[in-house]
Amino acid sequence: MESNITTATSSVTSNKPTGLKLFFRKLVQQRMLVLMSVPFVIWLFLFKYMPLWGWTTAFQKYKPARSFSEQEWVGWDQFNFLFSDERFLRVLRNTLAMSGINLILGFVTAVILALLLNELRSVIFKRVVQTVTYMPHFLSWVVAAGIIQSTLSTDGIINVLLIKLGFIDKGNEILFLGIPKDFWGILGAGTVWKEIGWNTIVYLAAIATIDPSQYEAAEMDGAGRFRRMWHITLPGIRSVIIVLLILNIGNLMQSGFEAQYLLGNGMNIDYSENIDIFVLKYGLEQSNFSLAVAGGMFKSVVSIVLLVIANNVAKRFGGSRVF
Amino acid sequence: MAKKLLYGTMAAALVLSATACGGNNNDEKNTASSSAPASSADASGSAPASEAPKDKVTYSYFLGVANAPDVNTNETTIGRLLEEQTGVNFKIEHVVGDLKAKVGTMIASNDYPDVINPDAAIDMLVDAGAFIDLTDLIEKNPNIKRVYGPFLPQMKAADGKIYYLPITAQVGEYAPDPEINQGAFWIQRRVLKEAGYPKIKTFDEYMNLIEEFVSKHKDEDLTGFISLTHDWRFFAIANVPMHLDGYPNDGNVEIDMNTLEAKTYFTTDSTKRFLQKLNDFNAKGLFDKASFVDNYDQYLAKLSSKKVVGFFDYGWQSGNARNLLRDAARADQSQDDFVYFPMPLTWDGSKDQLQDPPGFVKNRGIGISVSAKDPERIMAFWDNLLNEENQVMKSWGIKGETYDVDANGRFFRTAEMIKMIDEPFNLKFGFRYFNFDWPQYGANSTLADGNAFAPGFQPEVFQLGLTEGDKTILNAYGVKTYSELFAKPDDRPWFPAWGIPKAQGSPEQIWETKHDEVIKKYYPKIVLAKPADFEKVWAEYTAEFGKLDTAGYEKWYTEQIKLAVEAAKVK
Repeated sequence: MESNITTATSSVTSNKPTGLKLFFRKLVQQRMLVLMSVPFVIWLFLFKYMPLWGWTTAFQKYKPARSFSEQEWVGWDQFNFLFSDERFLRVLRNTLAMSGINLILGFVTAVILALLLNELRSVIFKRVVQTVTYMPHFLSWVVAAGIIQSTLSTDGIINVLLIKLGFIDKGNEILFLGIPKDFWGILGAGTVWKEIGWNTIVYLAAIATIDPSQYEAAEMDGAGRFRRMWHITLPGIRSVIIVLLILNIGNLMQSGFEAQYLLGNGMNIDYSENIDIFVLKYGLEQSNFSLAVAGGMFKSVVSIVLLVIANNVAKRFGGSRVF
Repeated sequence: MAKKLLYGTMAAALVLSATACGGNNNDEKNTASSSAPASSADASGSAPASEAPKDKVTYSYFLGVANAPDVNTNETTIGRLLEEQTGVNFKIEHVVGDLKAKVGTMIASNDYPDVINPDAAIDMLVDAGAFIDLTDLIEKNPNIKRVYGPFLPQMKAADGKIYYLPITAQVGEYAPDPEINQGAFWIQRRVLKEAGYPKIKTFDEYMNLIEEFVSKHKDEDLTGFISLTHDWRFFAIANVPMHLDGYPNDGNVEIDMNTLEAKTYFTTDSTKRFLQKLNDFNAKGLFDKASFVDNYDQYLAKLSSKKVVGFFDYGWQSGNARNLLRDAARADQSQDDFVYFPMPLTWDGSKDQLQDPPGFVKNRGIGISVSAKDPERIMAFWDNLLNEENQVMKSWGIKGETYDVDANGRFFRTAEMIKMIDEPFNLKFGFRYFNFDWPQYGANSTLADGNAFAPGFQPEVFQLGLTEGDKTILNAYGVKTYSELFAKPDDRPWFPAWGIPKAQGSPEQIWETKHDEVIKKYYPKIVLAKPADFEKVWAEYTAEFGKLDTAGYEKWYTEQIKLAVEAAKVK
């Protein structure tokens, strides 16, 4: 393999062919690499590009079990329905707010936890903390939502605690899931609880790549723990942080579905309903697949725009970037 | 080093996820191919008793209700007997997760099980052309023709074809259910006992009784009234004003018996009065405000906690919790106090209509999919299932084992039999699997020999199951069965109105989705508001509700009701 690559570079420097000729020569010389990537390109094409054909559905009044030519074409009708509904602005706001909260909370807490874990001297304690924090990641949301619901219920531990501590009187228990404005916070806290340990893994791996001699040098210069964290650890994982941040911004339109669906109820619907649930209610449950596709398309387009913006901002600040 | 490790893990994850996708497909193929040879091997071994020996076959059956574990019907006693008669076995697969999503994928792939009973998703399948037309096949099968014949006009889809057999059809005389499976206002028996078994007729009397009882038992930490509101079960609270007005459960509309006019009731005085009462109860700490956030399991847990004095719900929906309390009382009579007693109530004490009229549910049913290879044989199986002996077998079981016949030809069950027939037995014997999900006689049917089709509806069986406590309270109210407390249902040929199919994406269906959203959002607000704010929140709600095209919805329903009445006259 390595010999292939070296011969490729050497031949390029000697002959300097141009255009197509160069392309084919390189292709032949690197055939092993190309061959190895073929399955993945096919996979990518089959599973990521082929389904894009389905986007045509968004411009039809799609009826299942009818061939493509028999479908009724309706232009932008589905999008009109989507955008003209007053609820759409609300669910869009909820989607962005919830994923924004999750992004920032999840990212800040994970970095802090990773930094703290990195400073721990006792390996056993570190392992225990890591295991405990990423255990909830393996729970499905159905279970996690059940735990959150019973924790927050009127006879749940939080209300009991508040009563015992004298903050509220018996009979005035707080209906946490019934207060619309609290929903984002509950969801954010719940997501942090569920995902914090898992999110630290990448940061911990990145921290491990930092050259220990930098710490030693800093220590000799008299830098304390916080100085070392601030001047060595954080800059050391900066590129990883930025790359992950950009990728996550691309996911901003995906605020999740299960958590909102399971924790949402009539009382907090104004704050819990996101695009996915809206599409489920008015698209899939009504067998209006076209509307569901239109919603999905909208999400994808916004995601791509966000991703490009985030990437360019990162480029402008001279940091690392995805593409 | 660590970086390499990182990339290594990522690559491994990628490969894993790719192979995992492939794996699923293989599994499906394996099960499909392995079941086929197994059944054909069996066929050579046994000689079928019927006159036309046929190979044994297994058909796939998708059931849109998750009411039991998946099964091959021939693993149950009833299913094995049916297989001996016909050679047909069904592999029942129950829905896992969201029904409509599952059916949606089925449609998208255009690959269906042989037989589908999609519960609430039936419109989607009819719309997609997933069912074959059964009209001709019905003509060829005498038992199907006998049972469904009177209902054929009502079974026709908009295009005049018949795509599925509704699950139940009334056969013979109407046998009332002695238990309450429909809506009722439930109250703990001890409340009635303490008050000397008063005759309660109105909702206000009922709520006063609860209030008095709770105030007398302050130290017991009781809840006066709770409601079930979780997800699609929200109608357990929303339907109450309709019943208090003296109408049966027609869904979102009250239908005038004379003018056949359909009217919604969500902004009427009746609803306002009901919600105001709950608001009042909430202010007094008698209403469990967690009603609006609890899920179904939490609700059932509360009902079985013995702390809840009263609630409104449908029998079939609260049965799990109430059976638990009844079983406890059966084991220990002192627990009888906590068993719930059903009451028929209206606003003014006039005639209630809480019991369902003998209806014909048209938007649920079982159909044969376009993927089925041998529809005739499936229909023949159903035809065989619908003959009277097999209906007796699937309902009563085997003579001498699960029922007996007395000198007068009346079917009965001994105490031992009743004790033996518990849930595990139901699963093993197949009562559970052949209970409700096949073409069959309606639950209220009567057999040709005068016995009730459903064992639970046979007075002899019901009487045998009563405890001392049951007899005491029934005697106190001068009735023999619970249903005697309730008024006889009037004949409503359209019943149930909620069962009239609505086209996918039609204005009626969109209205229902939006209406659900509005009431689910505002009812909690109205009930939990400070009493002083009640009028204000109610006004907000009516303004919001006013944005819906309710008049159009009512008009559509009125038309449908009139059509249904016409169709019933034709027969």
